[in-house]
Amino acid sequence: MTTASLARQKKGGRHFKHAFFRYLGLTLNIFPPFIYLLLFFYVPMGIMFVMSFWKSGFMTLEPAFTLDNYIRFFTTPIYIRAMINTFVIATGSMVALILVGYPIAYFLARYAPKWENLIIYLLIIPVEINFLVRIFAWKIALGRSGIINSALLNLGIIDEPLKFLLYSKTAVVIVMLHEWLPYVVIPIYLALKGVGPEIIEAARTLGSGKWSVFRHVLLPLSVPGLFASFVLVYIPMLGEFAVPALVGGPSAYMLGNVIESQFLSAGNWGLGSAIGFVLLAVTLVLVAGVIKVAGVEELM
Amino acid sequence: MSNQEIALEIRNVTKRFGSLIAVDDVSFEIERGEFFSLLGPSGSGKTTILRMIGGLLTPDQGHVFLHGKDITFDPPEKRDVNIVFQNYALFPHLNVYENVAFGPRRRHWPDDKIRKEVTHLLEMVHLAGYEEKYPRQLSGGEKQRIALIRALITRPQLLLLDEPLGALDLKIRQSLQLELMDIQDETGITFIYVTHDQSEALTMADRIAVMDKGHILQIGDPKSIYEQPHNRFVAHFIGNTNLLEGKVASVAGGDVRIRTPRLGEFQGRGLDGASVQTGQPVTMSVRPEKMHITRQEPERPGYNKIAGVVEDLIYVGVSTEFIVRVAPGQTLRIFAQNMSRDDDLWQITWDDPVWVYWRPEHSLIITE
Repeated sequence: MTTASLARQKKGGRHFKHAFFRYLGLTLNIFPPFIYLLLFFYVPMGIMFVMSFWKSGFMTLEPAFTLDNYIRFFTTPIYIRAMINTFVIATGSMVALILVGYPIAYFLARYAPKWENLIIYLLIIPVEINFLVRIFAWKIALGRSGIINSALLNLGIIDEPLKFLLYSKTAVVIVMLHEWLPYVVIPIYLALKGVGPEIIEAARTLGSGKWSVFRHVLLPLSVPGLFASFVLVYIPMLGEFAVPALVGGPSAYMLGNVIESQFLSAGNWGLGSAIGFVLLAVTLVLVAGVIKVAGVEELM
Repeated sequence: MSNQEIALEIRNVTKRFGSLIAVDDVSFEIERGEFFSLLGPSGSGKTTILRMIGGLLTPDQGHVFLHGKDITFDPPEKRDVNIVFQNYALFPHLNVYENVAFGPRRRHWPDDKIRKEVTHLLEMVHLAGYEEKYPRQLSGGEKQRIALIRALITRPQLLLLDEPLGALDLKIRQSLQLELMDIQDETGITFIYVTHDQSEALTMADRIAVMDKGHILQIGDPKSIYEQPHNRFVAHFIGNTNLLEGKVASVAGGDVRIRTPRLGEFQGRGLDGASVQTGQPVTMSVRPEKMHITRQEPERPGYNKIAGVVEDLIYVGVSTEFIVRVAPGQTLRIFAQNMSRDDDLWQITWDDPVWVYWRPEHSLIITE
């Protein structure tokens, strides 16, 4: 072995040592949060996953391996109903959110240079108010003698109070719209804001009218923002339980409510866990689908 | 000029931004097939004019005519005018093929025609095979070539180029300059090229309009702009020049003799067609490459000459630039080509007393 190659090996050794300590340092840094997640998230999740295969009834849990809980979920009409409700309400809310949020984001990004910050601030303020307070406020506004019904009655537009305003899917969609709007507007706004004015000017000079610029330039360039808001909003909406519990009524019963009642009133933890994992599986498939279509780097 | 077709006419156009007058009552005409350059420092209003021609801005006063048709208030998509932007402005969500095909698709060309044209143009700019690449995968020079053919594909009557090479480095810029000139030659499309780089304008343009503070100071071919600048700004902005201030001592036809307060009298020539009176304050402009430098007092009758001291010399390979102090606080710049090592020039160094001399024909008398 020549001295040159010896020296090279020695140098390589130093590199290895350096890399090892760097790695160790990083590992130690992430250790505390990792332990926290492990103890309070992954371990309970694991326990619930195991539990979902146990024999389970009212306040009873028997270690076993059975698909009973899953079978029961998929064969009980009320649960299937709740699952359908969940997707109908979440999808309806998402559509409503985009229909309302996109024009706001578009206006903010393109036509409101002076008012941008103020409008964003106004949009965010409600988020700072406690979530339950907001739901109760809506309950008052949407009720039989709430502000909306009394206004419509007084104006003579309707003869009797609109019943579908409260304790219905509509009520859940209205409240969710309010709850999630900023999370839809801001990613779309940022995506549209990132389109330089010269890109739009280039499209105009190449023969695009205002609608064509939107259709062929701005809309495609805002797709990453749309995907981001979808991931940010649609998935939490699938797991929603407080809003349907307070303003939804029986016709808007969602999976979140089923899970909650299995744990807190029906005492059937096995079934509750199984439903939770069904919801999780569906959610993961959706996220994977979005990432496949949009590409991860587009979401970042 | 009279039998040439006028492609574009700008008539008494004014544009204000608040209290700032960006373009002040500007008029000019451009012939069909011309390579026309708007040259001026930043803030001179050249880009504002370009944007008004493109329809991205509307003039406050005046009109724009394209082939005789008033297009002053037409939106950009209705004008047969395309723009190449300095920062390329490629569509980031479309690949090269779709970027170039953007204009044709808005005009509903059939697919096979689009394919044929895009392929042909990509070959023309040596980017065949780049169809599937996205703008983020291209270098600056490649992006600008794509932006150029994207604007050319629909054969607009007028192509506006807004400092298209400004963001590129020197070598790429020079090769793209030649490529642009070839393309303009080949397609015969009228080009308006906005730049602040005088060498770029001199190299490429058939005619140049020099702008400052919202006004066009002079329009002409590169040679006349360089050799016959109408005023101090143009003389100074285009290339380098030495300016000597004085008053007219005597006039004999085109020959003008000026008296300077500190440097004595010089013989010069007035601008073609211009007239001056005795006693009028004027400026004499002499290009640095037209001045000569020597150690001995030159014995050349009729030449202008002046003694000085070498303050600085800058060797730049093909030439040497001398800064010669001729009076306290006043220097002249002289470019001397490095022709031969035996030359007298090689001996001249810092603090040497020297003589500077030049021909009266190269001393232009400017009144503005």
